[in-house]
Amino acid sequence: METRLLILNAEPVFQDQALAIFDAMEKLERRIVRTLGEAIAILLRESFDLFVVEGEAAVAIEEATNARQHFPSLEIVCLLEDAAGAATRAQAEEQRIALVPRDVPTRQLRRSLRKMLSAFERFTGSAAEGIDSCHSLIGSLDQFSAAEILQMCCLSQRTGRFVFKSARGDSEVYLNHGTIRHAVYGTLEGEAALAETFRWRQGRFYFEEGIINRVQTIDRPLAHLLLDNLQKSDELIESAGLTKES
Amino acid sequence: MKDPALENDLRLLTLQAESWKRLHDFMNWALDKAAPMITLEQERQFTELRGILLQESEHVLSELDLSDELLGKTLNLLNRATSMRAMRELSGIDARRLEMDWNVIFAKMGTVLGQLKKMRKEFSLRKNFAETLAQFFRPKRARG
Repeated sequence: METRLLILNAEPVFQDQALAIFDAMEKLERRIVRTLGEAIAILLRESFDLFVVEGEAAVAIEEATNARQHFPSLEIVCLLEDAAGAATRAQAEEQRIALVPRDVPTRQLRRSLRKMLSAFERFTGSAAEGIDSCHSLIGSLDQFSAAEILQMCCLSQRTGRFVFKSARGDSEVYLNHGTIRHAVYGTLEGEAALAETFRWRQGRFYFEEGIINRVQTIDRPLAHLLLDNLQKSDELIESAGLTKES
Repeated sequence: MKDPALENDLRLLTLQAESWKRLHDFMNWALDKAAPMITLEQERQFTELRGILLQESEHVLSELDLSDELLGKTLNLLNRATSMRAMRELSGIDARRLEMDWNVIFAKMGTVLGQLKKMRKEFSLRKNFAETLAQFFRPKRARG
């Protein structure tokens, strides 16, 4: 499987030492962007394994920190053109941003990049199981229903993504400042996807703070959606009872 | 193994073609008289893109041996498209000429990009064939 890399480099034509090294690597798909805005727009649409920010230490770490606010689980590496100060290093460490110096001989840089990629490959694959340290809330649907958890997060005005995993599949629900904006389950979207998730009584869930999605498929408050859902459940139970009786 | 020179050319041309596509978006907006007014932010983004193209075109085209054919046309087009507002004020004939010039440059880039991708595919096939041959002969040598 190919590793997907998104590289932020303001001058990819002239500052291409690292790009040339990435070019030569096998099983690596890379995409280059010039601005942080472009990078965030692409990261919202597509999934990448690693986000590489190239440039001067202060600027690159600032941009990486900005990206971290939107994508808490993303692996981020800064390729630094110059030495970073103590404060910026501390900031990078706090934000879990790896730093790799770029102002070194090509051979040394190639070694560092290979090491970085191989280390990254060894540690990937845990996020889907819900044990990523970035998940601010992890739990089981046996103890709390999806409706209860969503109510709690809406009340506390959270922004982020809920992932529900059950035997029926995975669904995602996006919250923006305590409002449910988007839900997706397989080919279902919006209220239909949410209603399906409400029915699950077994499975796991986790919440990733700060992850946003521009798509809006839900525009009603959670209370209305829950009422609708309860009504439908009652009708379902009633019709099931009638069938049994008859 | 990949061919570093080929990969370098591919990267440069892909970046240049991307910038030309974005330039076309701005041109379309500016030349469409029915489109809403041009905002300051659009002008700023256009100037940013024009700056990138002015800086990079000469280097990229010379790396790809396309300078003789495209550099004059490229700089000429960028000199005429000074701003989005200026493009909107072009006469019908000048606007069409600008679009035609853009198309000539973009078509050439697309053709060369296709040729480079074909070369990359052939390189990869040759490499795979060489590896297969090496694997085929390796056990024989070990037995001997």
